[in-house]
Amino acid sequence: MASTACFVIVSRNDIPIYEAEVGSALKKEEAAHQHQFILHAALDIVQDLAWTTSAMFLKAMDRFSDLVVSVYVTAGTIS
Amino acid sequence: MSGPPEEKLDGTNSLLDRMLLDEIAPVVMVLRTQLVEEACQKNNLTLIQMLQPFSVFGNIDVPVRTVNDQPYRLRTFKLRLVYASDICQPNIEDSEKHLKKVVSDANEKALNDIQDDSPKLEMTVPMADPEYMSPWFRVFNKALLHTVSFSDHEAFDHPVACLIVVSTKDEQPINKFVDLFNTDQLPSLLNDGAMDPKILKYYLLIHDSQDGSSNRANELLAEMRSTFGPNDCRMLCINSYKEGDEQRNDNPWSRVADTSGGQDIGCFLNIDDVDEIKDLMLDLSSKHIIPYMEQKIRSLNQQVSTTRKGFRNQIKNLWWRKGKEDTADALNGPMYTFSSIESQIRVLGDYAFILRDYELSLSSYRLLSTDYKLDKAWRRYAGAQEMIGLSLFMLDQSGKEAEYYMENAFSTYLKMGSSGQRNATRCGLWWVEILKVKGQYKEAATVYFRISTEEPSLHAAVMFEQASYCYLRSTPPMLRKYGFHLILAGNRYNICDQRKHAVRAYRSALPVYKEQAWSYISDHVHFNIGRWYALLGMSNAAIQHMLEVLACNHQSPTTQEALLGDFLQIVQKLGKKYDALRLRLPVINVASLKVFFEDHRTFASSAAALVNEHVWRSLEEDLVPSVNPSGANWLYSLPKSSRKNNDSHICVAGEPIKVDLEFKNPLQIPIVVSCVRLICKFSPISSTGEYDLDCAQSVNDENGGRSDTGSCDAMEVSNRESNDDCSSFISSEVDFTLEGDETMMVQLKVSPKMEGILQIIGVRWTLSGSVVGYLYFDSHLAKKNCSKGRIAASKKTSKNKLKFTVIKSLPKLEARIHQLPLMAYSGDLQRIILEVSNHSDSSVKNMKLKISHPRFVVPGRLEDLDMEFPGCLEKHISHDIHDMQDNAMDKLKGLSSFPKDAGIQGGTTLLWPLWLHPVVPGNISLNMSIYYEMVTPSEHMNYRILRMRYDLEVLPSLDVSVQITPSPSKLQEFLVRMDIVNRSNSKNFQLRQVSSVGNSWHLSELLPTPLGDQQQDERTLKQETIYRSSSNCPRQLLAVGQGLSQFFKLMEVSKTSRLKGALERQSSLSLDISSISKSEIDVSSMPLSEFHIQEIWHQEKQSAQEQGRTVDLVLISQWEKTSPEPEQQSGSQQLFVHYLCHCSADMQSPIQWQMDGPRIVTHDFSDSFCEIGFQLTIRNSSDYIASVSINTSDDIPFPSQQSDPSQTSHVGWHDISLSNGGKVPSDIQGQRNTSTRTSVDSSLPFLWCASSSTKIKLEPMSSMVVPVRICVMAPGTYDLSNYTINWKLRFGTEENSVSGLLGRSWGTSPGHPFYLTVLQSS
Repeated sequence: MASTACFVIVSRNDIPIYEAEVGSALKKEEAAHQHQFILHAALDIVQDLAWTTSAMFLKAMDRFSDLVVSVYVTAGTIS
Repeated sequence: MSGPPEEKLDGTNSLLDRMLLDEIAPVVMVLRTQLVEEACQKNNLTLIQMLQPFSVFGNIDVPVRTVNDQPYRLRTFKLRLVYASDICQPNIEDSEKHLKKVVSDANEKALNDIQDDSPKLEMTVPMADPEYMSPWFRVFNKALLHTVSFSDHEAFDHPVACLIVVSTKDEQPINKFVDLFNTDQLPSLLNDGAMDPKILKYYLLIHDSQDGSSNRANELLAEMRSTFGPNDCRMLCINSYKEGDEQRNDNPWSRVADTSGGQDIGCFLNIDDVDEIKDLMLDLSSKHIIPYMEQKIRSLNQQVSTTRKGFRNQIKNLWWRKGKEDTADALNGPMYTFSSIESQIRVLGDYAFILRDYELSLSSYRLLSTDYKLDKAWRRYAGAQEMIGLSLFMLDQSGKEAEYYMENAFSTYLKMGSSGQRNATRCGLWWVEILKVKGQYKEAATVYFRISTEEPSLHAAVMFEQASYCYLRSTPPMLRKYGFHLILAGNRYNICDQRKHAVRAYRSALPVYKEQAWSYISDHVHFNIGRWYALLGMSNAAIQHMLEVLACNHQSPTTQEALLGDFLQIVQKLGKKYDALRLRLPVINVASLKVFFEDHRTFASSAAALVNEHVWRSLEEDLVPSVNPSGANWLYSLPKSSRKNNDSHICVAGEPIKVDLEFKNPLQIPIVVSCVRLICKFSPISSTGEYDLDCAQSVNDENGGRSDTGSCDAMEVSNRESNDDCSSFISSEVDFTLEGDETMMVQLKVSPKMEGILQIIGVRWTLSGSVVGYLYFDSHLAKKNCSKGRIAASKKTSKNKLKFTVIKSLPKLEARIHQLPLMAYSGDLQRIILEVSNHSDSSVKNMKLKISHPRFVVPGRLEDLDMEFPGCLEKHISHDIHDMQDNAMDKLKGLSSFPKDAGIQGGTTLLWPLWLHPVVPGNISLNMSIYYEMVTPSEHMNYRILRMRYDLEVLPSLDVSVQITPSPSKLQEFLVRMDIVNRSNSKNFQLRQVSSVGNSWHLSELLPTPLGDQQQDERTLKQETIYRSSSNCPRQLLAVGQGLSQFFKLMEVSKTSRLKGALERQSSLSLDISSISKSEIDVSSMPLSEFHIQEIWHQEKQSAQEQGRTVDLVLISQWEKTSPEPEQQSGSQQLFVHYLCHCSADMQSPIQWQMDGPRIVTHDFSDSFCEIGFQLTIRNSSDYIASVSINTSDDIPFPSQQSDPSQTSHVGWHDISLSNGGKVPSDIQGQRNTSTRTSVDSSLPFLWCASSSTKIKLEPMSSMVVPVRICVMAPGTYDLSNYTINWKLRFGTEENSVSGLLGRSWGTSPGHPFYLTVLQSS
């Protein structure tokens, strides 16, 4: 199965600083906004978790259908 | 076991409580005859609808006892009245239809919502409150729950009682009662053994009062009572309403049947009827159903206790079940009839639950679930688990256990596959409500999400939307999840064609994503909203959202194209051009806004306008009358009219104001932009003559305040007005196409036509011929405080930057330069023509010209125009002076005035020649300003300035350096070495002429003159003294990159001959003729003389240290003559003139001398010794008086005799840099001193006669001949260099400073070698 991944660096104010689509899956027009939606929504979870755990890497903290979101939170709350 | 706490029983606090009351309530099966229904329909009600409002009891207050005789009172109670025909599992299609209808009905509400303004997040948050939340969610959820009603695995949907209703009009009513129950029409639940068919029956006789008196009815009732028992029968009179009866205050049915509508509901039911119904239902509930259930619970409990409770029974049960294991493999487990113990336990549990004895129900369900689990009856097992969860929750709301059971039930249902799916949904909905009561909204949302994944799109959509509200209600609100789930919901709604819901959901999500950089999200949301609005026919709203998407540069080109195409399609559907204030395509860079207008400063080209104002200011310093206050600086306080207009610029009617604006296409696809023009506001001068500032101001404010599209139409009107008003100004229109990612600077013009105040407000354009975009500068400028070229210097408010006071039309000159190349080689002398034209009617006068680079460009004379180039430069007879009038200093500054008569009449053109002679390679920006005054001065300005700017690239051509060496043999004669290197990259140069400028030097070819031929030399010198300057023609070709050294002889012309020449020719200077084919170029006439002055000025600056005698040389060259191919575009030959000024012709020391005398003497030494006389010519070439002493000595000179250390410093060969321009001091003398002295063979001494020391005094720049004599004793060759010359300069008062510059003020030099051969005469 072709896998796809979306990598986003988000600043403190929820503004994506860097976006990259990686993976071998065929580029779908759908995918771009779908990924953004999922990642954006996952920020809510990040916000929740970031204060409850000391870990910086939050593995699979959110999921949507077969897409899993993992986050690395920096000390400056850049995700 | 204690009874349920009282306070729980009347708790209808939560939605869950209400739902449980609604859903888990005893079902009363209703059987009725057709006539009963007809009687009820008179009130527009069915029988059930008529009874329903009275089947809910807020406080029924019935005492009940638990199985352990614990008394408690039941408060809230409800009966579910269902027609027997409806007691069956709902048809899936029907229920789908019903659900869809629920959603569609809510659509109308949604439409209202989406027509409002865009929602604000702050407003949405309270909306999430369940009370406020769309009520149709509850309706929908309820409908969804009902899709699994009347399942055989749950007992709470099984009818508890049967209400048999017969009308008094029915024939043989008693038989009807019997028939109704005994028909095969009874629900399958009763027939197939899922439930006990022996249920409580209640017989009701309906009497329609309109059918006559109730006598017969009473008889029938009595008969019924005797047949069915006295307590189970009742009569109900309805439709007893008569005219004049007391009006009911409220209509209890208003909420029941909102579909039939109208005031007719229950119109024939008077208060007595209603009371009777109320009484009936209360009686049915409290006297029959509740006691019946209580009784049933007791008996069932008894039964269960005996068979199942206790250790023995459990063991037996386990044993028994294990034995069954093999047979029970069906999905739903074995079939349980009503008589089976499992079914009975279930009934026990459900009844207990209905009567709120949760302890009992819980224990029953627990007992049951283990059995079902063992039997693998999964649906029943899940159902039991579900009820355990609910019971637990009702017992203890804070416990976690309930959730566990709900989850278990949920997943068990799901495990069953599609058959359990709807049950799972119901279970999920219970679960959600439990979580909501606990305040665990986040978890609730997750459950909604889980439900949605199992449901078809429409249901999923509603579930997603409910999930989103849960996220909103969680603390802290999870807005992003809220938005995301709304989008998911909207997406599903769209799939099910519920567009209004879809739009509503997306719009609700908008605030979440607002002003976020998540571009794909924002595009998706806006695009879909726009598209759906379009499908709903709301084009305006659609376009507004589409506008947000258009500038999507992050999307792929195909997407961009699709988006733009969709957008245009929507706009076209609108049928007219759409006015969009927020059109972001193309992107206009307001910061790039540059305004060019012309007040007293006018510009010949836009390049000139771009030059910084202070450059022009400094250039025009001498040009502009300083007293004139029109320096355009408002800081100069003016008493006059300009004071009043100090907040706006001045422009002249009829002259365009140009605005440069950058348009950028953010997309990768081309876009067509047309009709781009400026939006302006013009207010003419009011009748009082004052400018109507206030009026204009108010209009501006109004415009600035517009930010939403709502006022677009109004704007359009005002635009039309102003555009139609052609009499006041003309706005130019520009069309262009922007390729993908292209940025284009567009120049827009507006020309006011009459006096008044013109304000540029913004810009409008048409995209793809259908959408009109507007941009108002005010708001942008106020924010950015952008610089605006030359106007930025003045401290004006941004608003006023675009405001102009239009004054009446004035003459304006336009100028351009003909034949000005973009590229020239250095030294290239060209004639260029300045054309100044006056297109206005009135004349101008007092024209002056200022050039930024007077070194490169000098104004010519008017006659130059008619002359042939370069023939005009060749020697001619003297000419009249028709020059521009200016003094030498001004010339150096580049300022020149046109002759007084050179004013330009209206509509005429003046041509004036200019000479271009770029010298320094590199890029040169020529700035020129022409000053002129109006013949008829206006109130606002008396003069104007025309500014021109040209860029010229100067390429290197020849690199010339000169080195001048004094001739060792002759005084006042120099050897000129001219090193010429062709530095150009493609051109070959032909050297034409070398000239020395001025009358003090004579340049001649280095003729192969035999050494010692002094007499002839002197003759030549005399012959040529008539020439002030001399030239030589090397006729050499110099190819690219080639270097060449030329040698010339340079002779200083004595003062006397100079004077003679000066008398001969007064002002014009002549040159030597050396060229054969061509006439010589006159370097001393215009324009070469002019450039010479400039060069002297500039080169002097470079070599300020140069002192002493200098010579200025001019090298004239041209391009190699190739085949008779057409000449350059100028139509004339190129002429390259290189000036070499201040070439030093200085000696090493200021004193030179030369010994003259016979070289070979024949003497008869037998007679006497030989006495020979010599002349020592000493010259002082310094500017000071020198005292010189000649000391002879009779010693043999030694090589080490040199005393001057400076003379040894440059012994031997060394590098001479060409770029030094011949300023390196010569060393020939020194070399001679060292190299020759050693080889001297001095055999016999000779004697110096006369005095051994002679002292003389030499005036500056003069020479003196001192005679010396020697006595030779014997024949031989003698070196007469054993003398020294000591010299000392006598400085004036400023001795110190001058000595510093000169280097030396005294010195001792050994004599030059002079070989004398004396022969013995025969």
